[in-house]
Amino acid sequence: MSSSARPVTDPNARRAKKSEYYIVDCDVHHTFKSIKELYPYFPSVYRERLEEFGVSQGGGPGYLNGGYRGRRDDSFPKEGPSGSDYDLLREQLLDEFDIDYAVLTGDNIAGLMAGPDPDFAAATARAFNEWTYETWMSRDDRFLGSIYVAPQDPHLAAQEIDRWSEHPRMVQAYAIAGARFLYGQRYYYPIYEACCRNGIPFAVHVTGEGSGINPPPTAAGYPTYYIEMRMLRSSIFQAHIVSMVTEGVFERFPDLKVNMIEGGTAWVPAMMWKFDQDWKALRDQTPWIKRRPSEYIKEHVRFTTQPLEEPENPKDILTIFDWMDGASTLMFSSDYPHWDFDSPERTFPKMPKDQLQRILAVNAAELYGLKLEGKGASEIARSPRSPQTA
Amino acid sequence: MATHTRQKHVVCRTDELPPGERKIVEVAGRSIGVFNIGGTYYALRNLCPHKGAELCRGRLTGLMLGENPQELRYERVGEVLRCPWHGWEFDVKTGKMVIQPGMRVKTYDVSVEEVSVEQFHVSVEGEAVVLHV
Repeated sequence: MSSSARPVTDPNARRAKKSEYYIVDCDVHHTFKSIKELYPYFPSVYRERLEEFGVSQGGGPGYLNGGYRGRRDDSFPKEGPSGSDYDLLREQLLDEFDIDYAVLTGDNIAGLMAGPDPDFAAATARAFNEWTYETWMSRDDRFLGSIYVAPQDPHLAAQEIDRWSEHPRMVQAYAIAGARFLYGQRYYYPIYEACCRNGIPFAVHVTGEGSGINPPPTAAGYPTYYIEMRMLRSSIFQAHIVSMVTEGVFERFPDLKVNMIEGGTAWVPAMMWKFDQDWKALRDQTPWIKRRPSEYIKEHVRFTTQPLEEPENPKDILTIFDWMDGASTLMFSSDYPHWDFDSPERTFPKMPKDQLQRILAVNAAELYGLKLEGKGASEIARSPRSPQTA
Repeated sequence: MATHTRQKHVVCRTDELPPGERKIVEVAGRSIGVFNIGGTYYALRNLCPHKGAELCRGRLTGLMLGENPQELRYERVGEVLRCPWHGWEFDVKTGKMVIQPGMRVKTYDVSVEEVSVEQFHVSVEGEAVVLHV
């Protein structure tokens, strides 16, 4: 130690105030000006990780998301985060692929809605909805909006849905998959009443599992790596869907449609087979389930396609589509600007044109009550059967 | 059988493409990324064989390895190109996908040559990076 460090250890030189007591403070917090100060002490393998994710990484389940901070490398505008620049989004998505409608689902906000304070969560949802409507929806007619709701207080969530009743471009109520309770439980019924009252679907998007007050991202415990969490999202989606069918949500709310976003597709047929099989033996516990569970799912639940599973033989996914009645239940999604983006041109193997058109647009048009006009085959221009336009 | 005759295309002066940098050029109707890795030049088609993203705009990273569980070893820093969309890792030196070498992006030869303005109708004189397409 150099002599220049001496004054710090010389108590008499530093003491402005004299106490008659010896004092030992057992809790004093110090920190670094930059995380970079710690780099020399870290194994080099972790420095790049720290560079990318910063000091908050490791806290939430989104930790070690793919791409760059979970986003497509090429999606960062000159200033601000990925997805924050309309012109770039328009160039890379809307114009690049000639998208007719794009449902905005938001980003970087769901974490704030996973906390224990229901009023703050509801205020955050409301603020984000207002901002989306004023800032984004006004810029481009192709945008449709999602009404964020905080399910911590279903009555506040229902109020938020009702607030947008005069705005048909806000096409769905939107909650995250990380939730305190399974979505079939009666606690949430005010949300479903509001959805049916307003003729909009209830959308569930993966995220928030293990955040805030939500249960861990797998029922078996907290995973170590992001790929584990990602693999097991389907289990969370299965739990919500099975809960909604079993609790009788679709008997109680026969007009309710549910849109499951980004949770995968290939597992759906296997889940439906087992569900139907088990129902035959266990139906007596839930006699209000009058039809095979798969029938409720095919009628009431829609699944977005991204990230579409990639079998070794790409055509095999079409068998999965058949098994789940995909021509009616699947809706294309790109997930732009996230790293696992699916392009509408490069995602689906060669398949019958009418089925592809249903997945790319018609199923969404029917769910949201959209008119598809001006291009493509005449059958896609038929009037939608959404409750909104009924 | 017709043989394709490769043409030389001047990319830039060598001092315009220092180690760790890349340059994306349009040559013969193709977008091609030219990389300088430790003083050697490599060229790859700017098209990911997976979903068609502009591969050469991806990040250059190292290769994370580990022979046993919970072992991490980071090598070949700056030699692995990760697709800007889905993050697949390609070896810049071979164009092969790291974990599935059958999946590969087209590579091109690159040389360093003395050129003059007249030779290639571009404003380059002296030592230049030359792409063979």
